[in-house]
Amino acid sequence: MERYWQIEKTNLKYHIPLHFLVCVFLLGISPFLMGVENLSAADTAKVLERYVALLGIVMMVPVFLPEQDRAVQELVYAKYTKGAAVYLVRLLGNVLILAAFLGIYIFVLRSNNCEFPVVKYYFGTFAGMLFFGALGLFFYGMTDNLVIGYMASIVYYIMAVGGGNKYLKMFYPFSMSMERYGEKLWLFAGAAVLTAGGMYFRCRRK
Amino acid sequence: MSTTIKIRGLNQYYGKKQALKDVNLTIETGMFGLLGRNGAGKTTLMKVLATLLPKSEGQVSVCGKNIARAQEIRRITGYLPQEFSMYPNMSVYEAMDYLGVLSGLSRPQRKERIPELLKRVNLQYDKRKKVKALSGGMKRRLGIAQAILHDPKVLIVDEPTAGLDPEERVRFRNLLCEIAEERIVILSTHIVGDIEATCENIAVLDAGEIIYTGTVSELTRMAEGRVFQTEISKKELEELKKQCIVTSMLTLGNNVMVRFLAEEKPFAGAKSCEAGVEDAYMYLMQERGGEDVCSYSSL
Amino acid sequence: MFIQLFIKECRQTAKSLIYWLIVLVLIFDYASQLGSTEIMPEPKKGQKEYGYKQSEDKNIIMKMTLGQLLEEYYRENYSTYPIGFYKNVTLDEKEDERIGEIIEETTGISGRAAAEKAVSDWYAGQERTGGENGGMMIMRNMEAEPAAGLTYERFEELMDEADDILGGGSSYGESCRGGNASVPMTYEDAMEEYRELTVKDHLTGGYARLFSDYMVVFLGILPVFLAVTRGLRDKRAGMQELIYTRRCSSAVIILSRYLAMLVMLVVPVLVISVLPLSHCLKYASAAGIQADAFAYVKYTFGWLLPTIMIVTSVGMVLTELTDTALAVLVQGAWWFVSVFAGVGSLSGGMYGWNLVPRHNTELNWSVYHENFTQLAANRILYAVLAVILAVFTAFIYSQRRKGRYRFTWKGIGRSKKQI
Repeated sequence: MERYWQIEKTNLKYHIPLHFLVCVFLLGISPFLMGVENLSAADTAKVLERYVALLGIVMMVPVFLPEQDRAVQELVYAKYTKGAAVYLVRLLGNVLILAAFLGIYIFVLRSNNCEFPVVKYYFGTFAGMLFFGALGLFFYGMTDNLVIGYMASIVYYIMAVGGGNKYLKMFYPFSMSMERYGEKLWLFAGAAVLTAGGMYFRCRRK
Repeated sequence: MSTTIKIRGLNQYYGKKQALKDVNLTIETGMFGLLGRNGAGKTTLMKVLATLLPKSEGQVSVCGKNIARAQEIRRITGYLPQEFSMYPNMSVYEAMDYLGVLSGLSRPQRKERIPELLKRVNLQYDKRKKVKALSGGMKRRLGIAQAILHDPKVLIVDEPTAGLDPEERVRFRNLLCEIAEERIVILSTHIVGDIEATCENIAVLDAGEIIYTGTVSELTRMAEGRVFQTEISKKELEELKKQCIVTSMLTLGNNVMVRFLAEEKPFAGAKSCEAGVEDAYMYLMQERGGEDVCSYSSL
Repeated sequence: MFIQLFIKECRQTAKSLIYWLIVLVLIFDYASQLGSTEIMPEPKKGQKEYGYKQSEDKNIIMKMTLGQLLEEYYRENYSTYPIGFYKNVTLDEKEDERIGEIIEETTGISGRAAAEKAVSDWYAGQERTGGENGGMMIMRNMEAEPAAGLTYERFEELMDEADDILGGGSSYGESCRGGNASVPMTYEDAMEEYRELTVKDHLTGGYARLFSDYMVVFLGILPVFLAVTRGLRDKRAGMQELIYTRRCSSAVIILSRYLAMLVMLVVPVLVISVLPLSHCLKYASAAGIQADAFAYVKYTFGWLLPTIMIVTSVGMVLTELTDTALAVLVQGAWWFVSVFAGVGSLSGGMYGWNLVPRHNTELNWSVYHENFTQLAANRILYAVLAVILAVFTAFIYSQRRKGRYRFTWKGIGRSKKQI
């Protein structure tokens, strides 16, 4: 256990602070860009699904980055702890941070008199976050190219904004604004599969 | 235009840390070796010569041209860094061709020179191979080929033999010697054998300072009469190691054959022997450290 | 040297995975949004409806806009969409007072009590007329008569001020005022619009604009991925120093790369545009319309290229400065704000300084025509800015080559590498 805590400590100290700050910044400027007070359920969903969920891209996609350099990668893979374990610990840490960010943000919305079902919205947004991140993670793992990872997530987002649910069907990320939650289960499942796939590609790559 | 590199009073700083201290050197045509420990400042000096680092203080000229005029210097210098690679998905020929364009070679020039150089470095049959498929030795040879692609007057090679197998290493040294017939080749290394086999003139750097400059034979002469050999027991060896610099040893059953440095013959059993460059280098480094080469007299 | 390098860069781009992914996304964008576009038929007499248009009647615009302002003033609660997201605005005392003054000047109604009365009178009146019509009750939005002697220019001035006070994105800003007064079109209106499309716009003009509208959304971000990947490739391949020590000048290296990326991005757009172009040309020749075969080329270079240029430049300069994928974040943010801010003015005319100017209809030529200078200024600004950034990138590159510029932002510099 202590070993995994050490991995996470390294992550917190070296790999993630800047991404953390980016998230804080994005959440911090949101009141200047959009309403966060007295919102109806639909408008709250819009803020959460279309804006807050984007943090998933910031926090999850770069999980493989510290070992991008081939030499570092070989060094880490040669150690007793498996590469996959290192990634998993790190990913889990980042996901927990996301969960915390989301919790705080939803609390703020709620205290600002926005009316919405808190638990449903929490998990609905969380599913979107994870899916956005996992999609990038998958493509990063598959192509060994961080930029392609970001591109996958962002293009998916643009498609959702532009094409809507016509193309994305059960993976449409903005269903909550339409009071539908079935998609969220697909997003959770999709995120799990994509994360596993990304890890698989990454660890297989030598 | 003379083929000479002149360095006068070169100081180099990384923030507060001084990487080169008052370096003065004149380098003429042929192989020139830069010897020193890891971190002695060899790479810094080479990067200054390759215009990759701006000099902090001092005068540096390459073939009469001030080093500050980077573009002119780049025209006449070739550089092979310690660590390098090329776009992995390019073929050997494509990579050379790309770098050739960057060196300002015309298409006919490239068509003529690239096959010629690939042959010279023995890669003529691998020109379609992807760069990522090359072995370490092949990559080094490709590195040399790209560095002399534009026929520079000065070739700067940073630790080129590190990581090569003995055969490749010998081949590589010979290649460098051939190239040096018509130009300056500056070779940095911490492997004394490389210098011994290739260079006539050398400089030894330590902690950013030049502590020796001259010919290899002069350096060897410094250690003459100070190299001894003897066969002692393993227990005695420990004692000897504390007092003297042991430059090599060979275990023979319970005994050890040792080669060591001493100002004068320390005990009766020690036989004087001919000094090598390695002995001389060790002697130099020790002198520099302010220690006596041997305080064996107490024995 | 420049041309040879340029050709080599194009070849390298054509061999890179990211490039083909970008092309794929562009094809998808076209196929999903425009693949099944039908050319608009000539309107026929006796159609049920001909769509809506924004009224040009200044009196109607003023009435509707002022009505809404009055109602929001009375409720002390304003709805705005600064970047496309709903934002509820309440004002402080001083601001509220100023809105009160604006209402007084424009409608003659002074104070909140009077406003309340006007609003309740209006809705009471609505209920009465609704009742008279029997059954279905259709509430019309609040309208307020402009004060006598109020000129349209003064009205515009005051509404702009109100929009400023509300932090932008309100119903009173320039881009929304027209939308407050949309009226159904008559057959004559529809014919006029059709005539504009087919004669003044030569049919292809309108559809090329629609094409640009969809393409520009993706081109507002995609080029950054190409630029960042290219910028990081030298470092990743361990080739930086081999290139740095070549004779070739930094300007030639960077600008040949830049030009190669632009060309490689424009080519697929032009190729894709052949599809709608041929569709239009076929229709035009059947309908006897004189089409402009070069419309798509003109719009690609005029409308899309400046966006491609600036996005590529942003990618290059930030990658050269930081050696990280920071540009993706920055461009992502810029794209986000631009696209959502543009949602309010989809039908064109309000190009402003938006990175992705929208005109989400093949119609509305007159609005495009009227605001052409605005669009041209926008496009020229970004093109010029892009060139400046590209030249700046070359400068940074030349400095890094000599070891002069190092991104050492202690601590953050270290973790920045991770982005």
